[in-house]
Amino acid sequence: MVGASEAARMERLESQVENGGGGAWEYLCLVRKLKARRSNKVLKHGLSILNDHRARSKLGAEEWTLYEQVAFAAMDCQQHDVAKDCIAVLSKQFPGSIRIGRVEGMLLESKGAWAEAEKVYARLLDDSPLDQIIHKRKVAMAKAQGDLSAAVKFLNKYLEIFMADHDAWRELAEIYVSLQMYKQAAFCYEELILSQPTVPPYHLAYAEVLYTIGGLENLQTAKKYYASTVALTGGKNTRALYGVCSCSVAIRQLTKGRNKEEKEMSDLQTLAAEALQRDYKQRAPNKLPLLMSMLKNMKLNS
Amino acid sequence: FLSRGVEFLSPFLPSKGTKRWQRLQIRPLLFFLSQKGLCFGGAAASMAEDLVLDTAIRDWVLVPLSVVMVLIGVLRYFVSKLMRSHQAPDLKVVKEGQVILRARNLRAASGFIPAKSFRSRKTYFTNEENGLLHVPKGQSQNAQAQMFSDPNLAMDMMKKNLSMIIPQTLTFAWVNFFFSGFVAAKIPFPLTQRFRGMLQNGIDLSTVDVSYVSSRSWYFLNLFGLRGLFSLILGEENAMDDTQRMMQMSGFGFDPSRVIA
Repeated sequence: MVGASEAARMERLESQVENGGGGAWEYLCLVRKLKARRSNKVLKHGLSILNDHRARSKLGAEEWTLYEQVAFAAMDCQQHDVAKDCIAVLSKQFPGSIRIGRVEGMLLESKGAWAEAEKVYARLLDDSPLDQIIHKRKVAMAKAQGDLSAAVKFLNKYLEIFMADHDAWRELAEIYVSLQMYKQAAFCYEELILSQPTVPPYHLAYAEVLYTIGGLENLQTAKKYYASTVALTGGKNTRALYGVCSCSVAIRQLTKGRNKEEKEMSDLQTLAAEALQRDYKQRAPNKLPLLMSMLKNMKLNS
Repeated sequence: FLSRGVEFLSPFLPSKGTKRWQRLQIRPLLFFLSQKGLCFGGAAASMAEDLVLDTAIRDWVLVPLSVVMVLIGVLRYFVSKLMRSHQAPDLKVVKEGQVILRARNLRAASGFIPAKSFRSRKTYFTNEENGLLHVPKGQSQNAQAQMFSDPNLAMDMMKKNLSMIIPQTLTFAWVNFFFSGFVAAKIPFPLTQRFRGMLQNGIDLSTVDVSYVSSRSWYFLNLFGLRGLFSLILGEENAMDDTQRMMQMSGFGFDPSRVIA
């Protein structure tokens, strides 16, 4: 599990390495482990290690991982010749390897040669049809080309096989939201909540999607999920508090004639409103009047 | 038993200590016998007298036996690495694993999603026609039968079993042949009489305290206890010692379709 302590350590190492102190290799290892995307720094320090003969031989077997990492960073910074050199060294050492083939495909991708990259990936998939990363590269390519429906198709096919991959579900949910296919997005968020029920962002996102779809039942469910987000984050999530208020307003508008549930709803709403006011007083007191006027409007519109 | 043990060990023993060793063995024996003679009437009390064991036993029995077992374990590890055939993951197997993961998540976190979506997922998994987890009665294959019908798996299992059984058998025979018939070590805590048959196998004297064991028990101790050492030498995951493999072998009745139920 990525911990906050490791992220803090990476930051410290980054500043240390930038200012000329040692620890570049440790920094690169941490970046790789945490999958942080600091490509220009990785490129700079990685190249300094690789070009220095002594430091490179000190790495031993890890040298090739560093080559791969620097190749990725170079592609991200659009330095194609650096990436090409790294790939040349790697393919000399490991001829015919699928991992190197993947890096080559990514180089073609970063240059924009979509058709050739597609061919490379198809060939690699023939050899090892169960390679998750190649599947995901295909999806990324489709997304980069702007073809979101193709990305959705690829991602669905991937998820038919690897249906426990929650990162893929998350990606699919975000693509659906951008395509405004909210029902499908709601399904994906449900999968995410099933696999990781104690992660607040998924509850929040699910609530937002439900709120967007609209309809009384969905609004009530959305309110429940906003409330659960508030519970999971200990009341610190301002967006969820706002969500509770807006849901209550919307529900009240839809159920104008019926009186029976109003009491229980307004309890939650008043609590949320109070929490919001407290939060604003503490953190942004000059915006408090905006909040007060909005709350007043909400109560008046019931 | 004395003469047999001495006979076998005398080429290994330093010449100086031979007579002393013999004397050491005989003296406590006479002592015991005299004790027995004195204790007429009542049951013989537990012999709390200490046998003095020659350090030569430690040098030439205990340490070599441990060293040999460690070396055999390392050798076995390398041989198994050489013989391991790379099994390409099967699409169906991977998919089934993922389906099971997803279904397990559904069961565990079912309280977190709306009832309607839970029901729709439940039917997706279990409906009669194309539910992913639905296994019509009579069609579910026993995992064991499946394992044997797949030739690759059967070969793998055979290789694993062989690599475990053969060194064990050979080492055991070697121990029995060379290192039997004398007391090898003393267990530091007292034991009941039931263990006598197991631990004192080559020692034909029934009055010796059960804490004094033969080298066969030292072999078994090493067999089960070298796992920690292997995990240090060979890295964490290769520390499988024989107990784990034996448990794996005996766990054949494991039926994965009943895991989820």
